[in-house]
Amino acid sequence: MSTDALELRGLSVSYGGAPALTDVHLTVAAGEMVALLGPSGSGKSTLLHTVAGFHAPRAGEVWLGGQRVAAPEGGEPPERRGVAMVFQNYALWPHLTALDTVAYPARRRGLRRSQARAEAMAILERLQVAHLAHRRPSELSGGEQQRVGLGRALARQAALYLFDEPTAHLDTHVRGVFLEELLTRRRETGAAALYATHDAEEALGVADRVVLLAAGRVVQVGTPEEVYRRPVDVWAARLTGSASVLTGPAGEVLVRPEWARLGGDRTAQIADVWFRGPHSDYLLNTPDGRLLVREPGSPRHRAGDTVAWTLLESWALDGAPGRRGQESSNLAGPE
Amino acid sequence: MGVAALLVVVLPLVKMIRTAWLEGSGNLGDVVSRPGLGAAVTHSILLAIAVTALAVPGGALLAIALRRSDLPGRRLLLLGVLLPVLVPDFVLGYSWLRAYGGAGFTDDLLGVAWDGIQGPLGVTVVVAVNAVPLAYVVAAVGLAARAEPSLERAARAAGAGPVTVLRTITVPLLGPALAAASILVFVLTLGTFAIPQVMGAPTGFATVTTRIYANLSRSSDPAAFIEAILLALLLVVIAVVVVAPADQLLGPRLRATRTAATDPAATAGGTRKPGRWITATISGYLLLTVGLPLVALVATALTQAVGLSPTPSNWTLDNFRAVITVRNQEALGRSALLALAAASILVVLGGCVAALERTRFGRSTGTLVMLTFVLPGSTLAVGLLITYGRWLGDTALIILLAYLAKLWAFAHRPISGAVDRLPPDELSASRVSGASPLVALRTVVLRPLAPALVAAWLVCFLTALHEVTMSSLLYGPGSETFAVVVLNSAELGQVGRTSALSVLLTLLILAPAGLCWWAVRRLDLRPAPSSESVDVD
Amino acid sequence: MTIRRHGVRCAAILALALLSACGDGSSGGSGAKSITLYTCVDDTTIGPVIDAFKKANPGTDVELFRAPTGDLNARIAGDVRSGGLKADVVWACDPLTMADYTAQDLVGGWTPKTSIPADYRTDDYVGVAMLYLVAVTHDGVPVPKAWSDLTGPEYAAGVAIPDPSVAASALGGLGYFASSPDYGIDFYSTLKDNGATQVSTPDDVVTGVAEGTYDAGITIASSAYAAQTAGSPIEVSWPSPGAIGIYGPIALSKNASNATTAKDFISYVASKEGQTVLADSGSYPTLEGVSGPTKPAHARVVFPDWTALSTSKDDLLAAYQNLFGG
Repeated sequence: MSTDALELRGLSVSYGGAPALTDVHLTVAAGEMVALLGPSGSGKSTLLHTVAGFHAPRAGEVWLGGQRVAAPEGGEPPERRGVAMVFQNYALWPHLTALDTVAYPARRRGLRRSQARAEAMAILERLQVAHLAHRRPSELSGGEQQRVGLGRALARQAALYLFDEPTAHLDTHVRGVFLEELLTRRRETGAAALYATHDAEEALGVADRVVLLAAGRVVQVGTPEEVYRRPVDVWAARLTGSASVLTGPAGEVLVRPEWARLGGDRTAQIADVWFRGPHSDYLLNTPDGRLLVREPGSPRHRAGDTVAWTLLESWALDGAPGRRGQESSNLAGPE
Repeated sequence: MGVAALLVVVLPLVKMIRTAWLEGSGNLGDVVSRPGLGAAVTHSILLAIAVTALAVPGGALLAIALRRSDLPGRRLLLLGVLLPVLVPDFVLGYSWLRAYGGAGFTDDLLGVAWDGIQGPLGVTVVVAVNAVPLAYVVAAVGLAARAEPSLERAARAAGAGPVTVLRTITVPLLGPALAAASILVFVLTLGTFAIPQVMGAPTGFATVTTRIYANLSRSSDPAAFIEAILLALLLVVIAVVVVAPADQLLGPRLRATRTAATDPAATAGGTRKPGRWITATISGYLLLTVGLPLVALVATALTQAVGLSPTPSNWTLDNFRAVITVRNQEALGRSALLALAAASILVVLGGCVAALERTRFGRSTGTLVMLTFVLPGSTLAVGLLITYGRWLGDTALIILLAYLAKLWAFAHRPISGAVDRLPPDELSASRVSGASPLVALRTVVLRPLAPALVAAWLVCFLTALHEVTMSSLLYGPGSETFAVVVLNSAELGQVGRTSALSVLLTLLILAPAGLCWWAVRRLDLRPAPSSESVDVD
Repeated sequence: MTIRRHGVRCAAILALALLSACGDGSSGGSGAKSITLYTCVDDTTIGPVIDAFKKANPGTDVELFRAPTGDLNARIAGDVRSGGLKADVVWACDPLTMADYTAQDLVGGWTPKTSIPADYRTDDYVGVAMLYLVAVTHDGVPVPKAWSDLTGPEYAAGVAIPDPSVAASALGGLGYFASSPDYGIDFYSTLKDNGATQVSTPDDVVTGVAEGTYDAGITIASSAYAAQTAGSPIEVSWPSPGAIGIYGPIALSKNASNATTAKDFISYVASKEGQTVLADSGSYPTLEGVSGPTKPAHARVVFPDWTALSTSKDDLLAAYQNLFGG
């Protein structure tokens, strides 16, 4: 049980009296990648910084690889926790070159300068930024800076990686490439990772499991598939993607845009249409409420048109907060 | 603006060179070989080096220690560290003598006296204590701007312990700020006058500044006059020789520092409770360097006669009664008026220059401002005296002129910094929303600038209030400032009265400072710009 | 652009307003009945004397520049460099300094009618205050009977002497001892060998002795008695052959812009009324019949030969500074 890479037992953290995390329980198995998904201010960064050792818990414990490293009465300092971290704002030292930055953790492990640099050079080569080895952060682009930041984390040779929104400051076109690199390298190390992000697509795409955070509390934990298809409430559903709520005779149900399609036995009027590139979104005024439907290709109808539609799938919400939703098909069409 | 700089800075310098050339060329050899001249120059340079070596690390350590948000009593410590700025330097020097000198406070109470306090060692220590707040402020601003908490956290996460982080990350990041602080402290120490005069001169330890004073105020020998001019010129040469290359070297790097949002709550510390030790150490330092000397000063002021122990049975207000004379009250009013005038004019001028700087034409004014900053007070005073003394010699106007020239940089820096930080979009937004230029200025520019303006005004006002380097050379009948009264009293050797005057002057400065501090906090304006008031980049 | 223009206008208005305010408040000396006085006389005396004069002569004003003799010399030299003496009246603390000023043709040419003894008068100036150079000892230290005692072993722990280049009284003392056949400049070298220390002013001497930094010192009587009266643990003594008497002369500037009021002031200080105010404030008057501060019965006073000294002053100072430094 406690050979998990990370275990949080009832963790609570507060800033000057205001609670930032409340009673968080979480485990990350060895080699597992867990995403922390939540809006800004939900406590993602606080959680990572508490695991790293920059904040002390008010209550609860942090266990790393079977060792208790933090409790209210004290804990290990960050440098003795053996975790690696990639920061949102890169946190590169302006006075050090890329090479010396990546060599830094090895130096702290006690390696000689030349050894540490050789090791760092190997990492930079693997990340395909060896040609930037002698540049300082001010001479690097955002994507390059974050690669160096990733290199520094890799050099730590840790059993647990903490990624604190590493792509948040990157341009869209750089983001995908960097993320791919990050995932590949993490997989190579075989280490566990905790990946904080506010981007649902990123969280669902990278993680083995996803943790939804709201106002410092865990709302839901599950595989990406689970949190997407079976959200605990509307809030959780909207956090992980677009969703419409229809009110039928049996109560409220949740419908993802791709769970319905145009054509079929029901009719509705189109309130609005958006072209999204690979697909188009139609907002339908149905008798049960407004429904967003996603269809591949360019728009085939205009606002005001009356169209036919079919419900393929839905997820029943109980209305009562805290109760789990359940799969339902009572609204589903005969098809 | 250029004309103003020409009149108060350039013309006096030219006039000095001319006078030295015309009157001194014949007997330059005699002047240069006057006894003690070489020693004074050596003393000044050694003093500046020693004080820089003490004050800059001290200030940096304080800045690093005080960054911890979880330090017990941090708010008080932050105030306490800046306190020496508010105590006039010669009052600080004088109170050290009263506290630790022979027959001083510790001598009376514990039988412990520091024999070397009157002399080079004492002067060095007290000038350093006086310079520490300055170094602290520059280092703190540097820390806030460059050493973001995440940089140190990254190092901790990379496996470095607190000490290693300090060595490999924090201190290297502080490099440019420390270099700036070093230049600043060096130049200011070079021009420092009051502490060497009060603590060093009685035992024959002379610096260039005290020698200029002695030559001008103590000697009627024409050669002494020429020597004063030469020394004043030499002082500015040394300052420029040190500052110019350093500015060239460091200027771009200093200016390139990005200003990150400072996060006072963030610390790079671990999860451990920080040392009460740090608080205790800093408190002890403040107590020894400022607290005890000021207590000794007050005790001396209250003690009935010299040679009696400073115990309540010997207490009296006689010394205070003796110094509250019509003449001293006039001097006090004059000082307040001068400081008020200087601060108000400077804030307006500073605002103008800051606005000008945004235009291409105004770029060079920044350099001129820098020049007035480097120019030691003694040099400026000598230059003004020989340029305008004939017409303004006996009025307070010449002192006002000197204040305007000398304090220019003090007003300019914080205001210009605040103007630079002003997002240009805000002005555009108000214009687009229908505000006329004046309304835009009043509604969206002045308000965010207010803390900087208040800070600049306060710094100028307080500095002018206890300025003595220049006014001691420039005052005449009917234009004595209060600080000059205190200095003269100290030189006459009237211990009780000097202490009483010093206490009054310190109160005079602490009262408006406290009031403004309260007002600034009340207005909910961040006092942050004051911390940049002395930044030299 | 607008910001700038507005700011410049503001600056100009503010500067004008403040400059004129400043000028009004502090530039004086040109008023009809206002004079400028340069003096080295102690604050405690000069204040009451000026106040009493202004009270007796309504509408007059006295702008004061007060500094130790050395500073006063520098001030006057500076004036001379930049267009001439700016004072209407100069009140010095010793005749040597005043003789210097008359030799430079800066002051003199007029004295008031007064019954101050002729010993304290010349055609150019009149002595209106006396300084007595006396010995001061910390309580418990033997009191010196004669000046020469100060070179003895009882005082090897430290004798403080004032600096003659700063204080006129010290210069007078130097003049007396150096020209006295019993002492000579050797007196100072013996003092120095015995561990004597030069401090700046007579007040410094009193402070040092009162605080026990020095066992004994040479200082002026008024300062020593004032401290003793306030409670300082010191003894004042008038060693034989006597306290050294130095008179402080007052003179009219040849450059006086307001000679009438200046003469009024000088006459007032030399009058019985003025001498009484001066005596009440703790200084020794020169007019006979006006009682001054403490002066022991049978106290003896000796006087240097001022005429002889005026020619040898610079040599004496040089010889002294050879011993004690500048």
